[in-house]
Amino acid sequence: MEPRVAVVGIGHAGFAPITAGVSYKELMFEAAQRAYFDAGVDPRTGVDSFVCCSEDFLEGTSIFDEYVPDQLGAVQRPVQTVAGDGLFGFVTALMLIRSGIASVVAVEAHSKVSDVRSLGAIEAFALDPVLNRPLGISTLNVAGLEMNAFLERTGLSEEHCAMVASKNRTNALDNPRAAYPAHLSVEDVDDSTPVSWPLRDLEVARRADGCVVMVLASEERARQLTEAPVWILGAGWASSSPSLESRLWGHAESTTRAAEMAYRLADVGDPAEEIDLAEVDDVYAFRELEHLEALGIATGPELASLLEAGDLDIGGEMSVNASGGSIGQGNLFEANGLVRVLECVEQLRGEAGERQVDEAYVAVAQSARQVPSTSSAVVILANDAGAGG
Amino acid sequence: MARRVAVVGAGMTKFVRRAQETGKELAWEASRAALDSCELTLDDVDAVCLTSAPDAFDGVHMKGEYLSDGAGAFGKPFIRTYVGGGSGVFTAIQAWYTVASGMADVVLAVAEEKMSSTQPHPQGAFLTIFDNVLERPLGPNLLWIFALEMNRYMSVYDLDKRDIAQIAVKNKRNAAGHPAALLGQSDITVEDVLGSETLAWPVQRLDVSPISDGAVAVVVASEEAARRITDRPVWIDGVGWNLDTTYWTNRDLVFPEYVANAARMAYDMAGVTEPRKQIHIAEPYDPFDYKELHHLEGLLLFEPGKAPEAARDGVLNRDGDLPSCPSGGLLGVGNPIAAAGLMKIAELYWQLRGDAGERQVPGTPERGVAQAWGDLMQVGTVVVMGRDGVSRSSGSSPPATSDTVAATSLPVVQTPPYATAGHPLSDAQFRGAVGAVDHAVDARYEWDAGVAVGRFLDGLAEGRILGRECRGCGRVLVPPRMFCERCFRATDSWVDVRHSGSVETFSICHVAWDMTPLDEPQLPAVISIDGSDGGFLHVLGEVAPDDVRVGMAVEAVWKPEVERTGSILDIAYFRPRATGD
Repeated sequence: MEPRVAVVGIGHAGFAPITAGVSYKELMFEAAQRAYFDAGVDPRTGVDSFVCCSEDFLEGTSIFDEYVPDQLGAVQRPVQTVAGDGLFGFVTALMLIRSGIASVVAVEAHSKVSDVRSLGAIEAFALDPVLNRPLGISTLNVAGLEMNAFLERTGLSEEHCAMVASKNRTNALDNPRAAYPAHLSVEDVDDSTPVSWPLRDLEVARRADGCVVMVLASEERARQLTEAPVWILGAGWASSSPSLESRLWGHAESTTRAAEMAYRLADVGDPAEEIDLAEVDDVYAFRELEHLEALGIATGPELASLLEAGDLDIGGEMSVNASGGSIGQGNLFEANGLVRVLECVEQLRGEAGERQVDEAYVAVAQSARQVPSTSSAVVILANDAGAGG
Repeated sequence: MARRVAVVGAGMTKFVRRAQETGKELAWEASRAALDSCELTLDDVDAVCLTSAPDAFDGVHMKGEYLSDGAGAFGKPFIRTYVGGGSGVFTAIQAWYTVASGMADVVLAVAEEKMSSTQPHPQGAFLTIFDNVLERPLGPNLLWIFALEMNRYMSVYDLDKRDIAQIAVKNKRNAAGHPAALLGQSDITVEDVLGSETLAWPVQRLDVSPISDGAVAVVVASEEAARRITDRPVWIDGVGWNLDTTYWTNRDLVFPEYVANAARMAYDMAGVTEPRKQIHIAEPYDPFDYKELHHLEGLLLFEPGKAPEAARDGVLNRDGDLPSCPSGGLLGVGNPIAAAGLMKIAELYWQLRGDAGERQVPGTPERGVAQAWGDLMQVGTVVVMGRDGVSRSSGSSPPATSDTVAATSLPVVQTPPYATAGHPLSDAQFRGAVGAVDHAVDARYEWDAGVAVGRFLDGLAEGRILGRECRGCGRVLVPPRMFCERCFRATDSWVDVRHSGSVETFSICHVAWDMTPLDEPQLPAVISIDGSDGGFLHVLGEVAPDDVRVGMAVEAVWKPEVERTGSILDIAYFRPRATGD
């Protein structure tokens, strides 16, 4: 995908169940400072445009755009909000650079969800006001409906979903930023309370606070700024039906479409063969499997044998959520997409420490917006070796 | 280099006080009208860009997702951008970079707003725009900040209220022939505006564009696609956007520097070096009448403080030298926030094609600028558009004048495509409608004040006002922060600042946020704090409203120590202070 764009700086802060005493501004400042230091840029002079990702009701502020510029070094600069997941901000930064209007762009997303006292009610406020809300259903119910349809269709079992939760919590043990690392067996997950059957308590990612900031640059600037650029080979994003009544249950339709676009741009023909690691949405454990299928990495029956053989583990055929995913690191809401890119960048730079995946050249990061919505984004990333130099 | 990008179609619903249609239906009607206008179908669209102002209006969390299918986004790349009141113009910028980046050839850009769902009054959505720790306890409403800014603008340039009111008159008259307008009125006078109810002095009812429902959509295409779709594309020649500091009480509100920054960015890209000569139509953002003047200055079309004079001289009229808001603007057409911004892009498209019907500006306008504004008086979004054949190559062409009208007026080939949708509902019809659903969101939060503001609040409990010093720029920041936004470094030390200051600007507010009258007027003011480079929002006391002046010396009146809780309310109010002590 020419002209090329790379990630040249990453920074994060928080990643804890609660970040008491620190405001969201201070959390953002810390992550931003780290990202700019990593990229070697001064935001006051060296960043052309800033993209922030947030949703008002998660912040408790109407027009949250108001409260972002100062702590990012973005005062009196081009700043915009993407009302959505960080990965949509990431592709927005990509577009800004490709359009020629910016050479270096910072993208930010955060979660200060510990400030929210009535999260369930706010999540349910995303449901259709006339047809769905009077039924009194929660977003967990919607996830349960989705899971059941997915298992019905693919023949995958509840145990396979429990294996995902167990794997991701265990992977998180090797991730110093993860908020929820644990030695958790498949039986532990299977024995946990069903919250909306077949979905079980330990298959739902716990909420966490945190912030991720990234710096993206054009090829020319990337070469000047870093010796280890991580290239964006392709990007895709898509929406599906927002209405519960007309969606294709049990299929991650928007991810399928986003992946098609990203693979086309990245010239990926056989994802299972050409991609070395995947960081995908697992806010509900079954969705990791649903998304891997939509990404064309394996079909339902194949996923069963991959899981059983440990081929999705770190060191397996295709490491999936080596970071621990959202189940291991915490659900950072609109920041989840950038959390997945963060892991891909660390892996492709060879900076992932104990959880480093061998021979990591090409990675896929995928994000899906929170239930009940149906928008997804997919990006294909590679280091110099993976991008063909 | 970026690909050239054009607007090739536009459509809008009627702007109404309360629409029968849902937000999705409004988005669909505008989208269909825009696609119909250029004879495309949804299959021709590669990606959808959507915008809409606070989710609190529609009463749906993640409302972009909720609206997406109405905006034609099913199965397509879809992103909602959002910069408050600046969103409508910004979504045209979003469409521009989506095409210019090569990620799409044809984009549908949609702006929807259904404000009427918020009860008891849509202003409720704005109660939570204020700082959750330092401002919300004071009970501010949206009118306050407009009144504070308007008063500052009037005070610094010694303007008469008539200078301001003439803009409302011009725009409501301009809208009189607009088939989608809510507020067109050909016989309105300055006296009508000056005689309307005072809401928050100096703001009166007819200074304000009212809440509305509506949607607008435009189709944006790459050069190659545009040439295929129409013989009269209108080019997006320049785009700019800019966001100023959150700490609005630390800025001089008299001039919108962020609008000027956005304008410079857009003009540079468009090759506009002398905006007053090279821009022939302006659609500045006019939710309040003074804002149009403020923004014309921010757009560098007039010197600071000089736009009112131009208005008096008729320069801004439809047949003037620089027609401003020939659409009728928000004051005339209506103010469904995000949709109203994109309406300005649609208006330039129609005007520069010669399709504006009764509203057509005479002469041969070649280039226009549209602008929107929002957040905490903080964001500017600017788009420069040019007529085909002259765009980008006519940097030095003279402005259109009325002398040239007869010879070169553009032929009017069609009337603009307005959707017939936007069916107004009365309050009684709404209450009696089947399926009207009441729902109150249980939205509770407990914000961390953080390190800086946490210490500031502790200081207030102790009867101290604390600032943070930045040794990089030498400023003392009040309210304090642990970082300096200008130097982008950690700040260095705590400083006790004085308990006195001066009134930067003030208002006399007569209504509550839901527009119910107050028994006693409130006196909100921005106080510049002595010994600091900042200040904050508070209220005045022990003073008659008529005696308050900009620049007046004031001092904090503290609550008794036992009643202080570590809140901005530990200062009961500020009162006049004898000067010279």
